[in-house]
Amino acid sequence: MKVEIKDLSYVYPSQDCALRGVSLVMEGTTPVAIVGQNGAGKTTLVKHLNGLLRPTSGQVLIDGVDINTHTTAQWSRKVGYVFQNPDDQLFLESVRKEFEFGPKHMGMRKEEIGERVEYVSNLVGLADQLDTHPFDLTSTQKRFCTIGIIMMMNPDLILFDEPTCGQDAQGIRRLRKIIQELRNQGKLCITISHDMRFVAENFKRIIVMKKGEAILDDDIEKVFARTETLKQCFITPPPITRVAQGADLKKTPFTGKAFMEAFEEERERRICQM
Amino acid sequence: MEMSNDFVPKNTIIEKMNPNTKLLAIISLGISTLIFPNPALGLGVLIFLFVVSCIAKIQKTFLKVVLGFGIPITVMLLFIQGLYSPKNKTIIADLGFAQMGLEGVLYALKIVVTLLVFLGAFLLMNKTTHISNLVAALTDLGLPNKAGYLVLATLNVVPQMQKRMSVIRQSQEARGVETQGGLFNRIKAYIPLLGPVILSSLIDMQERGMTLETRGFGINGVRRTTYVKATRSPMDKPLNVILILFLLIVLILTLLMKFGIL
Amino acid sequence: MGKTILEVKDFSFTYNQAINKVLDHVNFRVDRGSFFCIIGANGSGKSTLCNSLVGLIPHYFSGEMEGGIRVDGMDVRKSSIGELSQKIGLVFQNPFNQLSYTAGTVAEELAYGLGNRGVPGKVMQEKIEHMAQLMRIDDVLSKNPTELSGGQVQRVALGSVFILDPEILVLDECTTQLDPLGAEEIFEIVKKINGSGVTVIVVDHDMERVASYADEVLVLSGGRAVKIGSPRSVFTDPELEQYGVNPPEYVKISDMLRKKGYTNRETAITEDQSIQMVKEALKG
Ligand SMILES: Nc1ncnc2c1ncn2[C@@H]1O[C@H](COP(=O)(O)OP(=O)(O)OP(=O)(O)O)[C@@H](O)[C@H]1O
Ligand SMILES: Nc1ncnc2c1ncn2[C@@H]1O[C@H](COP(=O)(O)OP(=O)(O)OP(=O)(O)O)[C@@H](O)[C@H]1O
Ligand SMILES: [Mg+2]
Ligand SMILES: [Mg+2]
Repeated sequence: MKVEIKDLSYVYPSQDCALRGVSLVMEGTTPVAIVGQNGAGKTTLVKHLNGLLRPTSGQVLIDGVDINTHTTAQWSRKVGYVFQNPDDQLFLESVRKEFEFGPKHMGMRKEEIGERVEYVSNLVGLADQLDTHPFDLTSTQKRFCTIGIIMMMNPDLILFDEPTCGQDAQGIRRLRKIIQELRNQGKLCITISHDMRFVAENFKRIIVMKKGEAILDDDIEKVFARTETLKQCFITPPPITRVAQGADLKKTPFTGKAFMEAFEEERERRICQM
Repeated sequence: MEMSNDFVPKNTIIEKMNPNTKLLAIISLGISTLIFPNPALGLGVLIFLFVVSCIAKIQKTFLKVVLGFGIPITVMLLFIQGLYSPKNKTIIADLGFAQMGLEGVLYALKIVVTLLVFLGAFLLMNKTTHISNLVAALTDLGLPNKAGYLVLATLNVVPQMQKRMSVIRQSQEARGVETQGGLFNRIKAYIPLLGPVILSSLIDMQERGMTLETRGFGINGVRRTTYVKATRSPMDKPLNVILILFLLIVLILTLLMKFGIL
Repeated sequence: MGKTILEVKDFSFTYNQAINKVLDHVNFRVDRGSFFCIIGANGSGKSTLCNSLVGLIPHYFSGEMEGGIRVDGMDVRKSSIGELSQKIGLVFQNPFNQLSYTAGTVAEELAYGLGNRGVPGKVMQEKIEHMAQLMRIDDVLSKNPTELSGGQVQRVALGSVFILDPEILVLDECTTQLDPLGAEEIFEIVKKINGSGVTVIVVDHDMERVASYADEVLVLSGGRAVKIGSPRSVFTDPELEQYGVNPPEYVKISDMLRKKGYTNRETAITEDQSIQMVKEALKG
C-alpha cells in the first residue's frame, strides 16, 4: 500500500482554507500517527484519502492511482475511514447489521461475512452486543463499533480519527491490539490522536500538522526531541518523556524500560565525571 | 426543500423589516382572504405578494412554489367542487358526464387562493428572515421560551434532517454505497434510511434538549434577551397600522355583505 | 454558608428498562471551593452521576431513583433543571451533541444561556468576546457551529458553560478532543476559576492530570463508590488497577527507582515531584 499526497490544498465551500500545500508519502505497513493543533486540518487531510473530500489543488495517489478517478464508494474496498464522531457513522438497527452492511455491498460471500463478524466482533469487544441497537451502546462501545464496521470490509488502508478519545485503560489496550493485528495482516494504518502516550507506545513515525501544513514528519524520537517546535503546534510529549526531559536525561524515552536505561546511563556518566 | 429556512442574505428592504411585521402580514392577509366571501380579494393579495417577492429578489422561488403547489391543487379542487359540490346551482359548462357549477368553482378558487396566500406569505417571511432574527423578534414580543423553541424546532426540522442525511450519505459512501450519479442510485440509497434518519434526528433533538435545559431553558420569570437584535425598519410602524386597518376593513365589508347591506 | 456544597446520600439509579443499578448506594460530599475528581473505567457510571448532579436525572431521564442529592441546600428531586442551572453548570461528555444548533453562529451559541438569564446586550457582547479569547475561538466566532473541527466544537461547548459563571462546575471528560497543550490550558483555566471560589467536579481518564489538580478523588467501579480520598492515597493504593484504572506514570517511575534502590522518597504522583525525585536520584 502506498499513499502519495502531492502539494494538496483544500478550501471548504465556506471559503475556509484548511490545507495549504501538504506533501507526504506513506508506504508499507508501519503505522503512522498524525498529531497537531485543533483545527490544523488533520480530519480534512484524511478525508481526502478515500475521496470524501476532493483536492482543491494538488494530487492524492493511492497505489499510484489518482483519487479523482474513482468514487468514494469504489475506494471503500481499499480505504476504510473511521469517523471522528461515531454518531455520524452508525445508522442501522443492530451492531450485526452495521457489521454486515459494508461487506454485503462489496459482494463478499455469505460464509466469509459470517466468519469476519465473529473475528471482528471479538477483536473490538462487541461479541456479546451483536444484537444491540447502536444507539444503546456507550460512547466508547460506539467507537469500537465504527472501527469494527470498517475492519469488516477488510481494506488495505485504515484511517482512525481520534480513536483514543474517552477510552479507559482497557480500551487503550484493545486499540493497541487492533493496530498490531492490522500490521500483521499487512495493512497500513494511519491514526489521528491527541493522546501522546498512546502515540508514543504504538507508532514509530509521527506527522505533525499546524495550520494546514505538515511541518514535521520523522521518527518519534526525533519529533519529541523538538520541544520548541512541538509547543508551537500545541503538542506536549507523553508524561514519561516529560519527566526525562525535565531531569535533563540525554535520551528521549517513551516506555518505563527505556526510561530506566536512560536514567542509569545518565547516572553512570555523572559518576564517571566526578 | 423550498420551504426550509435556508436564508441567503440579499440585502433588500424586505429583509430589513421586523420579523413581527412579516408575521402580522401573514395573519392579516391570510385571515382577510379566508373570511372574505369571494376569491377576488385573495387574487389581489397574491398579486401583491408576487410584487413583494420581486422586491425581495426571490420571485423565482416564489413562483416555483406557488405555481408548483397551486396548479395541481386548483385542478383537483375545480374537479371535485366544480363538478360535484352540492352548492352548485348555476351551470357554466356541460362536460357531458357532469356539469360544472359556478358556486363550486368559486368555492374551489377561494380555498386555493386562501391556501396560496398563507403559503406565499409564509414563504416570503421564511426566505427573507434568518431564524435567529425571528427568534429575537419573538423574544421581544415576550413569547414564552417553550413557544419560541417550538417555532424554531419546527422551522429547523427540515434542515436538520438534510444535515443528518448528508452525514449518513458520507458514511454510506465510505462503506461502499454509491449515492452519487443517477436518480435511481440516490433513491436506492435513501429509501432504507428514512427510518434511521428520523430516529437519529429525534435522538439528536433529545440530547440537544438536555443541553438547552442545563443552560437555563426553563428559567421562569425573567425577561429574556438575545444576542442577535431583531432587524427594524422605518416601514414597520406604518405597515403594522396598514395591516391591522386592512384586516378591520375586510372584516367590516364582509359583515356588511353577509347582512346584505352591500 | 456550610462547608459542604454538594451532598450525595445513599444514591442509587436504574435506567428504565434496565435491570442493574447504574449507581449503587453512592455516598459522598464535596466541600465548597474544592477541586473534586471522579475516575473509573468505561461504563462505571461517571456520566450518570454527573447527569444526576444537575437534575437531568430524574427530570429528563426516567428510571428508578433512591436516596437523594442536595446541591447547596436544594433537593435535586424537588428543584427544576432551570433552577439548578443557575447554580450548577455541566459540560457534557460528547461535545458534538451539546451545541444547541439553534444558533446561526458560534457567538449566538455562546450567548444562549446568557439570554435565558436576561443578560443585557452590551454585557453579553463583552462576555462573549472575553470567553472567545479565553477558549481560542475568536477566529471562528462568526462561523456556523456545524462547520468546526472536533476540538473547536469542544471549545465552544466549554465556553458556553463557563460564560454562565456557575457556582459549581461539572466537567464530564471535557478535553477529549483537544490538543495536548490546549487540554492543559483548559485545566489551568479551570484551576483559576476554582481559585476564585467555584467548586469544580471533573471526570477524566487522564490520571496524570487528575493527580496534579485534584484535592479529592472518587473512584467509581460498577456503579459503586469504591474509594474516596486524596490523590496520593488513591493513586498509591495497590488495588486501584482492579477497578480498571491505571495510576499515573509517575507512580510507575517511583516504583522502578525504588525497586533498584535509587531512591527512598515517598511516591511521586505529579510531574514536578517526579522530576525532583529523578534529579535527586541522579545525584546519587
Ligand atoms: N465543514 C466545514 N466547513 C467549513 N470549515 C470547516 C469545516 N470543517 C472544518 N472546517 C475548518 O477547517 C479547519 C480544519 O479542520 P479539521 O477538522 O481538519 O481540523 P482537525 O485538525 O481535525 O482538528 P481537531 O483536532 O480539532 O479535530 C478548521 O479551522 C475548521 O474550522
Ligand atoms: N440513557 C441510558 N439508558 C440506559 N442505560 C444507560 C443510559 N446511559 C448509560 N447507560 C448505562 O449505564 C452504565 C453507565 O454509563 P455511564 O455513561 O454513566 O458510564 P461512564 O462511567 O460515564 O462511562 P464512560 O467512561 O464510557 O463515559 C453503562 O452500562 C451504560 O450502558
Ligand atoms: Mg479532527
Ligand atoms: Mg461518561
